[in-house]
Amino acid sequence: MTQGTLDWTVETREGLRLIAPIGRVDETTATEFAERLAEEIAKAASDGHKRLAIDLAEIEYMSSRGLRGLTLAQRQSADSGITIVLARPNQIMREILAISRYDKVFQVFDDIDGI
Amino acid sequence: MKVRFWGTRGSLPVAQKAAAIRDKIATALVAADGRRFADLDEARTFADDELEFAVGGTYGGATSCVEIEAGDEFILCDLGSGAREFGLDAMARCARGHARVYHLFMSHFHWDHIMGFPFFVPVFDPETKIVIHSGHADAELALRRQQEEISFPVAFDWLRAQISFVTLETGKPYAIGAVTVELIEQNHSHKSYGYRFTDAAGKSVVYSTDSEHKVDRMDQEAAFVAFFGDCDLVICDTMYSLADSASMKEDWGHSSNVVAIDLCHQAQAKRLALFHHEPTYSDADIQRMHQESIRYEELTREAAPLAVICAYDGLTVEV
Repeated sequence: MTQGTLDWTVETREGLRLIAPIGRVDETTATEFAERLAEEIAKAASDGHKRLAIDLAEIEYMSSRGLRGLTLAQRQSADSGITIVLARPNQIMREILAISRYDKVFQVFDDIDGI
Repeated sequence: MKVRFWGTRGSLPVAQKAAAIRDKIATALVAADGRRFADLDEARTFADDELEFAVGGTYGGATSCVEIEAGDEFILCDLGSGAREFGLDAMARCARGHARVYHLFMSHFHWDHIMGFPFFVPVFDPETKIVIHSGHADAELALRRQQEEISFPVAFDWLRAQISFVTLETGKPYAIGAVTVELIEQNHSHKSYGYRFTDAAGKSVVYSTDSEHKVDRMDQEAAFVAFFGDCDLVICDTMYSLADSASMKEDWGHSSNVVAIDLCHQAQAKRLALFHHEPTYSDADIQRMHQESIRYEELTREAAPLAVICAYDGLTVEV
């Protein structure tokens, strides 16, 4: 990973597109994060997936810009009939989701198999 | 420069109920664990040093009113219900020789930011000069309307002080009293304005309340980062959680602790004061929000630490 960018892995399962960003989501990467989410929602929709899971295990931290990017993605995905869920938050992301109360507006799974 | 918080609650004044006080006393007694105190001072020291603030104190319940002490003339931000107590204290200071000149800076004219004006005692003193500065051209209308007979028994024209209104523009520095003042337009119903005060020594305080940083307009935040830049103390509207501000309470005109910290981090501000507390929050709720804010600041810090304090009625901050 280079500074100011995120690395991504993508996996598909039955009815599910699983994406895993790696790095920090802050003011320097939030736009890239939001744009990539929009692309992934479009791909999930074209592939007929009903859920897009974002694996948070390798996120170093996410600022409010990234969190609000999740909200924008949630709105966009709802228009496509896709539900965004969050998976495997590491300890820092678990705290950030709790502090922001984003764990109240997104379904959060402890492991991928539980989705 | 000093900042005194006379009212820190958002939207509506609140007061402690008997059960809340009883619970604080009960918690304090349990914490004391049978200890004996020689006198009240020793008991006060115990309360200050060993009890959580939400137990030994309270964040208060008066609505927005913040004094900036710089120079010989009064500077005040907003006229929420905290202005009543400020007015009484200011009159006492005037009796001891303080200049009877007030510069009031209004974020906007919603109810909770003007409700203290009819009870602001200096308006009855003919020797007092009050200049009401605002970004709004309809400031006078808002304050006159509040004192019409249907709402209040004392008409605006009965007030005895020399009251004048000045409309300020964004993008211009103004020398007012002992400070330089700049303002920024904020996203709020009928607009609101944030103010930056800089004293002769270069110390600065930003007052930015009732300012919504919208989820779909993050491109507008660069202007706030610049406005907060290197500020010594930024007072920010942190009424809601980020989730609430981006969902159920979107377009209600307020922001979150999380966004305030991010903006201050980017601006490399030195201190953030959490402000405009949600009226449904108990002291314990506000204290929890403060602790969570400190933790979020630690988790997302990339450069120098940002001190996160939580404003309460009666707090004085030396800048």
